[in-house]
Amino acid sequence: MAVNAERPNTAPLLPPRSETGVVGWVRENLFGDWFSGVLTVLSLVVIVPFLWFGLRWMILDADWTVISTLGGRMIIGQYNTEGACPGQNCFWRPQVALLLTTALLGMGWGYSGARTMKRVALGVAVILTILAFLPYDFETMGWDVRLLLLANPAAVLAGWYVGCRTPMGSGRGIVISGVLVFVLTLVLLRGLPGVPGLQPVNVGDWGGLMLNLLLAVTGIVLSLPLGIALALGRRSSLPVVKLLCVVFIEVFRGVPLITLLFMSNVLVPLAFPEGFPLSRLVRAGIVITLFSAAYMAENVRGGLQALHPGQAEAARSLGLPGWQTTIFISLPQAIRNVIPAIVGQFIALFKDTSLVYIIGMLDVVEISRAFIQGNPQFIKSAHELFIFLALVFWIFTYTMSYVSRRIEENLGVGTR
Amino acid sequence: MKEVPGFLTVNGIPLWRHVRILQWVSQVVSGLLVVALVVWFFSNIAGAIEEREIPYGFSFLSRAYQTPIGQHILPYESSNSFLYAFWVAVVNTLVVSVVGVILATALGIAVGVAGLSRNWIVSKAALVYVEFFRNVPLLVQLFFWFYIMLALPPVDEGYVVIENLYVNNAGISLPAPHASSAGGAGIWVGIAVAGIAAGLLARSLLTRREIETGKASYPVLAGLALPFLVGTIAWLVLGSGNGEAPFQISHPAPQGTFGRIAGGLTMPAGMIALLAGLVIYTSSFIAEIVRAGLGSVSRGQVEASRALALSPMQTLRQVTFPQALRVIIPPLISQYLNLTKNSSLAGAIGYSDLTNVAKTMTQTAPAVSIYILIMAAYLAMSLTYSLIGNLYNRHIRFTGG
Repeated sequence: MAVNAERPNTAPLLPPRSETGVVGWVRENLFGDWFSGVLTVLSLVVIVPFLWFGLRWMILDADWTVISTLGGRMIIGQYNTEGACPGQNCFWRPQVALLLTTALLGMGWGYSGARTMKRVALGVAVILTILAFLPYDFETMGWDVRLLLLANPAAVLAGWYVGCRTPMGSGRGIVISGVLVFVLTLVLLRGLPGVPGLQPVNVGDWGGLMLNLLLAVTGIVLSLPLGIALALGRRSSLPVVKLLCVVFIEVFRGVPLITLLFMSNVLVPLAFPEGFPLSRLVRAGIVITLFSAAYMAENVRGGLQALHPGQAEAARSLGLPGWQTTIFISLPQAIRNVIPAIVGQFIALFKDTSLVYIIGMLDVVEISRAFIQGNPQFIKSAHELFIFLALVFWIFTYTMSYVSRRIEENLGVGTR
Repeated sequence: MKEVPGFLTVNGIPLWRHVRILQWVSQVVSGLLVVALVVWFFSNIAGAIEEREIPYGFSFLSRAYQTPIGQHILPYESSNSFLYAFWVAVVNTLVVSVVGVILATALGIAVGVAGLSRNWIVSKAALVYVEFFRNVPLLVQLFFWFYIMLALPPVDEGYVVIENLYVNNAGISLPAPHASSAGGAGIWVGIAVAGIAAGLLARSLLTRREIETGKASYPVLAGLALPFLVGTIAWLVLGSGNGEAPFQISHPAPQGTFGRIAGGLTMPAGMIALLAGLVIYTSSFIAEIVRAGLGSVSRGQVEASRALALSPMQTLRQVTFPQALRVIIPPLISQYLNLTKNSSLAGAIGYSDLTNVAKTMTQTAPAVSIYILIMAAYLAMSLTYSLIGNLYNRHIRFTGG
């Protein structure tokens, strides 16, 4: 009681003003000690002029017309030119493929109901809607192009409805639709001989961002299972299988992708009998997939190695046969643990699709470079063009890493 | 149950249910399939070579290459042989790779440490740096730097930043040491290397003495002073002997009206753009590795060293970093490999690296043989880096950093 009596009966003191609010935050985070203060001043000395001159240049000096001049060629390359698609307007074909893809995205959102998917699907819809209102004249960007772009939000919503209200909205439904969309995209882009309006377009004329995305999606979908198989093979107790997998992985990891691509263009056609139907694009896709699978295998192997052996032992003691132990116990946990590495590899693969320039494919980077090369009046605008390209790639790759972080959070990696 | 005939069983188990037999059969079958596929590919290649009369073999290596190489660090003339030209290209790649690895490591560690700083601006700047540069394809970054170099004025209108430092669209020229014509440069380098080795030895011996006897033995001082003394004495002795110091500084100087810069060291524009792109791209990955490595050291370590009154800098250098190294080294090595392999994009911006030169070579020499050489060269480089890295890894693991 004596103690109580000595304590003054007042409300607890508020922290001093210098510890709260803006001042407190600045003191805490920018001038915590003398070293931190020096760092703050130094970084401001570097960052402020950089931002100032950067923004000034972007707004006042930079000439962004190079991007509008390139326009649709950045997205589809040579696809809609006279050489590729003579006498017809072929722009609608990639656009319909895009519609199918956004519908699939909407379906994924409807099925999963996840906030991440919703954001991605709606983000894509918003960006495509904005594209529909680009201030080109109607000569360059016709009504049909704009309307097909405007159909994308509708496609997302339709996909969403199918995903959450119909029996197609199941894991199996999504996979089937995915395969269907992929096949339809290829058919649309390639064309069908004899069908009016769908005249064949040589795959050598596919280009632009469309080409990067196609190669990336194919590579991602195929390299993960292949990589898992290689990882399992490398950990196998069977010496022959193990040897084959180790040789494959080490050879593909030891040589630059660009060298492999370049070899694929000269050596691979010789390795098949003459007339074997393997186009440049298919060869590039195969090489990128195999290359990525070798890296994927090492990531998955890391995950398998980090797994406690007790998991597999427990599964075996419960009477699961070896293959069931691998598929239902080891792999899911191993993959969950290396999601960041796997997505990192997906991102690397997407970035690596820009290397197909070495075999003469006109992806978005190469078509931009070739444009600058061919039009010397734009050489001063090269910086603007490549900054824009950097931004485009960044949006895709950053979205991928954002989705991966969310998936990790949902799976509770590192928290259980 | 039906009886299985005896010759179809091993230890009473039917052949098709015996695990060992199944394993071996599947291995032999898969092995044979792969061998058959490889044989098929090679027989096709051989057939194509014969049918289309594509040249093959390695006899071309002694022939004169007769094609200029854009940039070369070793002396090179068109009359040199294919083998030598290939070696010149390998050295071009090696130089970019080694310089790039050193710069990217330094920059990556700096950015990685900055990312963990408690200073808000510094950590956010590091985050933006990492998230931007590692998410943009290297090729795009290379083109960006390449066009920056291209936008610089030509040599005769180039900038002179400070005296003897020329910046123009041909590259950057700066003063460089130049072996004296009187000779003695090689001897001096040999003696200096011996001095450094002696310094390292002295340091480790004196450190051990200090730990064992507790007497102050100044290992760091001795380790620095010894090579310095040896080097200076050798320099003076060789200089007075030859009448000229072993190395002289060569200054770059513009020649003629259109200005070709002679003397000094000129780093070609392609190489600068390549190094800038490679170093910045790789450093963003290294920064993430360093950040994760430092984060993996338990907090207790930091708290304990703070309790022992070590400064934050001392804590980082002597407690956190040595422990983080064990986590950092393996992925760091694979980043070094990536940098070396990524240098093959040099061709896109006109630097004569291994892939670029080899690609040109295929026009006048058998492509198949060239491919074998390229793959061997890259695999050798990869294995060397892995070997050095693994040795270092073992070293820090055993001594405990």
